[in-house]
Amino acid sequence: MKRIRFILSALLFLAIATQVNGQKMKKHMENSGYKIGDSATDFRLKNVDGNMVSLVDYTDAKGFIVIFTCNHCPYAKAYQDRIIALNDKYAGLGYPVIAINPNDPKVEPTDSYEGMQQRAKEKGFTFPYLFDDGQKVFPQYGATKTPHVFVLQKKNGKNIVRYIGAIDDNYANANDVSHKYVEAAVDALLANQPIAQTTTVAIGCSIKAQKN
Amino acid sequence: MRNLVILIMSIMTLSGFGQNVVKKKNEQVATPKQKQVMKIVNFDQLQTVLKKNDNKLYVLNFWATWCKPCVDELPGFMEVNKSFRSNPHFKMILVSMDIALEFDSGVKSFIAKNKIEPDVYLLDDNKRMNEWIPAVDKQWSGAIPATVFYRNGKKLEFKEGKMEKRELVQIINKYL
Repeated sequence: MKRIRFILSALLFLAIATQVNGQKMKKHMENSGYKIGDSATDFRLKNVDGNMVSLVDYTDAKGFIVIFTCNHCPYAKAYQDRIIALNDKYAGLGYPVIAINPNDPKVEPTDSYEGMQQRAKEKGFTFPYLFDDGQKVFPQYGATKTPHVFVLQKKNGKNIVRYIGAIDDNYANANDVSHKYVEAAVDALLANQPIAQTTTVAIGCSIKAQKN
Repeated sequence: MRNLVILIMSIMTLSGFGQNVVKKKNEQVATPKQKQVMKIVNFDQLQTVLKKNDNKLYVLNFWATWCKPCVDELPGFMEVNKSFRSNPHFKMILVSMDIALEFDSGVKSFIAKNKIEPDVYLLDDNKRMNEWIPAVDKQWSGAIPATVFYRNGKKLEFKEGKMEKRELVQIINKYL
C-alpha cells in the first residue's frame, strides 16, 4: 500500500512538473520578440559598403522601416523592387529603409556578405543592406522569416515599434495589391494618426540558423 | 471413373480460382495506395478537407519546393507516412506554398522525382494570407515549414519550424 502511494505521488509530481514546464515553454515562445509599443534595440552592423551602421547615426530621421530580408528567398526577391520604392518614397519624409540579412551563410551560402554586396549592386539598393553577423539582432526583434518588417518611430530617444508584419498583401504580383500595409502604417505615423492595422502575417522563408 | 475425373477437375479449377483470389488479395495488401490527389486550392477548399468529421488524424505540412528546411524534413515525413498510411485513421497532406504558375512544371516534377506519396494541395490564396495564417494557428508567424494536426475539424497541435521524425511520430502516436 505504501509503495502504491509512493508511486502515485511520484506520478502526480511528474504530471505537475511536465505541465508547469510546458506552460513555461509556451510562455517563452509567446513572449519572444517585440510587441507593438516596445522599444527596439539599436545595433551596429556592417553595411555592404564596408561601413558600420546604427540607428543612432540617423539624427534627422523620424523613424525607420527595418526590413529583415535576404538574397535567396523567393518572397524576399519578389519584394526587392518594392523595398527600393519604399525607401525612395519615405527616406525623404524621415522614414528610411534599413535592410538586414539575418541568415547564417554557413546554412544558406547565397546569403553571404559577398552575395549581399553583389545583390545590392545589381539591384542598385538605395538603402543600407546590413549583415547580422553572429545573428544577435534578429532574435531580439523576434524576426522569424524574410521578409519581415518592423516600422519604428523615434520618441524621446527611443525607437518604438509601431508595426510588425508584411509589406503588402500580394507578394506574387505587385500590380494586384489591395493593402499596402507598411505604407499605410508610415502614412499614419506621418499624419499623427493611429495605425489601422499594426500587425499582419504572410508566408516567408524561415530565418536560417545552424541549430534550425 | 468419369465422375471421379470431373470431381478432380472441378477441385483443381476451384482451388486454382481460389489461389487467384488469394493472390489478388495479397497484391492489394502489399500496395494499399489510393490515387494521389494533386490540385490547386484556395483556403476555403482546404478547410473543407480539414473540417471532415471522419475521425481521421490529418497531418498537414506547409512547405515549398524552394524551401530548404522544408525539403530537408520531407524524407522523414515520407518514412512516417509509410509506416502509418495503412491506418484508416491517419492521413498526411502536403500543402505547397509554391506559386500556382509553377504547379505543373516545378511541383509535380518534384513530387515524382522525390517519390512523394501523400496528397499535395497547392494553396493559391496569396491575398488572404493575413486571414488564413492566423486561422491555421494564432502563433504562426508565416515562416515555413510548419505542421498542423487536425481531427474532426479541431486543431490538436501546431508546430512552426523543421520537425524531426521522432517528434512527428510522438505527436501522431499521442492522437492515434
